[in-house]
Formats: sequence, C-alpha cells, structure tokens
Amino acid sequence: MARISILNKFYNAGPLILLYYLCISEVDTNLEKIFEIFTLNFQIILIYFWILKRPEIMANGHIFLAGLINDVVMGFPLGISSLSYLIMIFVGTYVRAKSVNTTIASDWFTFFIAMIFSNLLFFSLLNNFSELSFTLSKIGYNMFFTLFTFPIFWLLFNIYQMTFVGNRDA
Amino acid sequence: MSVSRDDFSIAFRSALLQRGGAQKFSVLSLIFLALLIFFLDVYGVKFTKPVRGFINDVVYRITYLASTPTRIFPQVGDNISSFLNVKKENERLKAEIEKYKSLELNVEFLTDENKNLQNILETEYFNKNLSNILLAKVLVDKNSPFLKSVIINKGTRAGVLKGMPVTKDNYLVGRVVETNYLSSRVLLLNDLNSRIPVTLDQGAQAILSGSGSKNPILEYLPEDYEIISDINVFASGKDGIFTPGTPIGKTTNEGLIELFVDPNQLSFVTVNLNIQNKGKL
Repeated sequence: MARISILNKFYNAGPLILLYYLCISEVDTNLEKIFEIFTLNFQIILIYFWILKRPEIMANGHIFLAGLINDVVMGFPLGISSLSYLIMIFVGTYVRAKSVNTTIASDWFTFFIAMIFSNLLFFSLLNNFSELSFTLSKIGYNMFFTLFTFPIFWLLFNIYQMTFVGNRDA
Repeated sequence: MSVSRDDFSIAFRSALLQRGGAQKFSVLSLIFLALLIFFLDVYGVKFTKPVRGFINDVVYRITYLASTPTRIFPQVGDNISSFLNVKKENERLKAEIEKYKSLELNVEFLTDENKNLQNILETEYFNKNLSNILLAKVLVDKNSPFLKSVIINKGTRAGVLKGMPVTKDNYLVGRVVETNYLSSRVLLLNDLNSRIPVTLDQGAQAILSGSGSKNPILEYLPEDYEIISDINVFASGKDGIFTPGTPIGKTTNEGLIELFVDPNQLSFVTVNLNIQNKGKL
C-alpha cells in the first residue's frame, strides 16, 4: 500500500519534474539543428495542459521558480519567463473556472489565446527593457510550431494522465 | 446580463487570487513578485549584480550536472564508432601528417618573409603577446531560438572580463557578455546582437552581423562589391577588441558566412585576457 502511494506521488510529480528538468538542463525543444525554423516553447504547453487538467500537481510557486531558472539558463532578465508562465496559469485557471467540460478543440483554442497574451508580455518586456534583439519571424515560427504541436502533446499528456495520474477533470 | 458579469468577475478573481491545497501562492502575488524581480534585475545594477552572479554560478553548475546524461550518451556512441574506425583513421592521419610537413616549410618561409616585410614597413603586429590565454570549458550550450550563447566555466576569479574575445583553435567564436565569479556567458558570432568589424581576403572592410541562424551575414560592404564564394573573412581589429587577422569563416554562394568553428559544437574555448571591450554589448 505504501509502495503504491509512493509510486502515485512520483507519477503526480512527473510533469513538474519534467518542467524543472527542461528549464535547468541543456535538453531543449528547439530543433533548429535539424530543421532551421523549428522552435517551440514546450514549457508553456506543459504548464497549460496540467493547469487545465490537474492544477494541484502544478503548484504556482514551482512554476514561478522554474521560470526564474529558465531565465538564468537562457540569459534573459530574471522574472520574465515566470511572468509569461504565470499568464498561462491565469488564463488556464480562468478557463477551468468557466468551463464545465473541455475538449481538445476548446483547449487548443484557449491555449492559443493564453499563448498570445503570454508571448505578448514576454516579447514586449524583452524588447523594451533589455538589449536583446530578436526577429519577428523567429517569434512567429516559435508561436506557430508551439500552437500546432499542442494537440500532439495534449494527447500524450492525456494518455499519461489516464494511465498514471487519474482523471479528475472539472 | 448581470449574472454573466458576476460569473466573469468571480472566475477572474478566483483565477488571480485563488489559494489553498497545493497552491500556496496566488497568481497575483507571484505576478507582482516576478515584476519586482524583473525591474530589480533590469535597473538595480549595483544591488542585484552580485546576487544575480551568485545565482548564475549555482544554476550553471546544476545545469551542467543535470545535462550530464545528454552529454555522455552521444559521446559513448562516438567513442564506439571511432574505436571501430581506428585503422582507417590512422591511415588518414599519416597521410595528413605528410601533407602538413610540406606545408610547415611553406609557413616557415612565409613567417620569415612576413617578419622581414614588417621590419621594412616599421610596423609591428600590435598584439603579439598571446601568453595571457585562458582555456575554458563550455558548461552549458542551451540552444535558444532568441539568444545564441554558451556558458563557460571561468569567471572574474580567473580574470575574465566583459568584452574579452573568445576563440577556438585560433578561430574567433564570440566575446564575453556576462561575467560571474565562477562562470561567464559568451555571445556567439551568429547571435542577432553580435557585430564584428572584419576584413576580407581582398582587403574590403565590412561588419559581420549575426543573423540568429547558423550563418552570419556581411553588412556595410563597399558599394558594388560582389560577394563570391570561398573568400576568407578575418577580424580586422579596428575596434581594438579582436586580434587583427583572427580567422572567422569564409563566404558561401548565398552571400552568407560559413564559420570555421561550428557554434553548436563547442566544448573547449580560449579567452584572450589581454583585450577588453570597454563599450556596450
């Protein structure tokens, strides 16, 4: 019984461990080496899905901390990724509070809105308060691929949720 | 109508302020905290610099440890394949040694000739003191779509300062843009923020600008200058940062610059401690 409980805790912590690992390690979802324009922001997909489905396993404080770590590793001003992730949490929590039953299509659409707000804040802060410059095409590709890979990860996370975590959808 | 407005405000408020269970902090409080940290980092230079430096050093070390599996597995594969090809490799290296032996004589002759010509012109290579070179290991090479940089394991403790040029095998790879006590961040030549004065084989001057992709581009070339492929590009040293004549890359058919050092494959680099850029990034 105790072993099952430890396993359950481990499975529940899986998404959070993955988030921390992606933020702190060299592993990235930026596959520019293979296909030059293919970049995606996997962290926001991960956060948005789990905030919608099981917010209790993605604590706000942990996401905030993961954002700070991401800023240090990436060389961005501290707090900018945290803000971007917190916007995702905010939209996700709002959608969760307003909707009774969610589908992949509704999640995809609301993810698009959340991503727009999140990236708007991220890039406007970066543009106005840092010396880093970036091209609009890079941002466009990043948003495009993040949006269009969302359903794939939605399905994968859903399988993980059904298999290991259990469904407690709103 | 008023019910739907109530619903909206309740959901909005709950999304911002909700706490309890696993959520120990509300989103609103964390947003304020993140904004505070952000503005302190951007504006509070004196106060936040040592703190940020300490955090950077700690996180870079953890990142290095966390990335060990991803670094070891491809290395094991490479080692096995190189072990299997050892005989072929040996033959190839022997042939290459023969080739370089003949080239060495040529280089010796050219070096002497260069020295004599410099004596005649009464000019001297203004930065011959290359003794102050520091070897550094690349700790973190996280491929970001927006910032092309690497973290090295040498910081202010070893004498690294912001602006110092970084090379690999005598080829220019970038410059130091952020220093911590035990680590530094190197901005690579292909980053969008990188600008280097360069000179081409035929004497033309230009600015090498990072494009954000693998290959940088040349800007401010002389009017009517036509770029052809395979022209070598060197640092001109006009900015007083980079050693003049440091090889960078060569031109391609598309007018881009193919760097001699692949920016995605850096494991060890050298920092030239003699030179420092006093200017901004």
